[in-house]
Amino acid sequence: MAEGKTIRLKIRRQDGPDKPSRWEEFSLPYRPKMNVISCLMEVQKNPVTSDGKVTSPVVWECNCLEEVCGACTMNINGQARQACSALIDQLQQPVVLEPLTKFPLIRDLMVDRQIMFDNLKKVRAWIPIDGTYDLGPGPRMAEVKRQWAYELSKCMTCGCCMEACPQVNARSKFIGPAAISQVRLFNAHPTGEMNKHERLAALLDEGGIADCGNAQNCVQACPKEIPLTTSLADLNRETNKFAVSRWLRK
Amino acid sequence: MSSVQSPYHFLIRRIHSLLGLLPIGVFLTFHLFLNLSAQGGAAQYDKVIGTMRNFPGIFVIELIVIFMPIAVHAVYGTWVVYTGQSNLLKYRYARNWFYIIQRVSGLYTVVFVITHVWALRVGEASFAALQHLVTNPWGLVFYALGIIFAVFHFANGLWAFAITWGLTIGPQSQKIWSYVCTLLFIVITVVGLSDLSAFLR
Repeated sequence: MAEGKTIRLKIRRQDGPDKPSRWEEFSLPYRPKMNVISCLMEVQKNPVTSDGKVTSPVVWECNCLEEVCGACTMNINGQARQACSALIDQLQQPVVLEPLTKFPLIRDLMVDRQIMFDNLKKVRAWIPIDGTYDLGPGPRMAEVKRQWAYELSKCMTCGCCMEACPQVNARSKFIGPAAISQVRLFNAHPTGEMNKHERLAALLDEGGIADCGNAQNCVQACPKEIPLTTSLADLNRETNKFAVSRWLRK
Repeated sequence: MSSVQSPYHFLIRRIHSLLGLLPIGVFLTFHLFLNLSAQGGAAQYDKVIGTMRNFPGIFVIELIVIFMPIAVHAVYGTWVVYTGQSNLLKYRYARNWFYIIQRVSGLYTVVFVITHVWALRVGEASFAALQHLVTNPWGLVFYALGIIFAVFHFANGLWAFAITWGLTIGPQSQKIWSYVCTLLFIVITVVGLSDLSAFLR
């Protein structure tokens, strides 16, 4: 390891939702195999900027540290991804860290992704089996179906697809690809299928599937490689059939 | 979730998509192919136009099949453009380019069609009238871009149409359909530009 080699971080700081934002730069002694989180922990230990100014520690969120929870999602060199799996040795320097822009900012790199969970509620992304008595075992799921449905279940609600989507913004109510793909997951489940009309009806609403603009950034941005555009196209077909059929039966 | 839902949002988006192909896209293709008659010179072109203009009930046909669908598609499409926010600088994927070009070409086509209709439908339509417009270099650029953007908007719209109606679901079928749409774009653009070249002689 070269003596004196440093890691440079350029971080967009903001003390609160209504406070102005500013850039701060930090230099850390290089160690091999660091990720963005371990760099932020170094900054936390010694919150002094590159030009020697003492500042407040940078606020960020993290949890699992193995790219399955989505909590540490932020813009790293302009792209939304998880800080835990963003390895310094693979990043261009200075490493530019910014909060996600499609969610309300709390502080520094921490945002409130509540809207994504609200959207899951909107589309009823669960299987209702609660009742007053034991319903017994549900129908079996075909193995071939389970295999592709499993890919959809990898969604960790991280928000990368929302950040990359040009249709998700302050002027639009689009719920985004993540919640829509979950409709496909739960509609594929043999028990979940029994309530598929409720989820499809939710997708007809404002902000639903019709607001997709086919930019297809979501499928590129998804860290779990979920076939989001396939889910969207499949649900286009399903919602069309559902809407026509429902209207004809009115 | 409220039990009272208005499916109108979904309906209008689907109508918007459908109108793009039927009748607008079909009309655009027909219009550009018909204008190849200009290659036969002023007399032949003016005769074709005369036949079209004197077609029985042409006003009603134009109103229902051409004007109203285009107006609905344009007005709602402008709203759709407003609800988007391009992020091309951060995500430079091909499809993201198409996303923004689709919107730019749509807006340009609205301006173009209004000007075009004002000059040659409300005004006098003849070989000489269009020749007068395109002999001005700016007029020529305006018309050439109008043709290219309108055809692009149609061809790329047709690509998205197949997704909106759940025809091309997986990435493979979407890719193959994009080749077909590219071919369509090239053919119709060549036809459109050769229409235009007839007025430059």
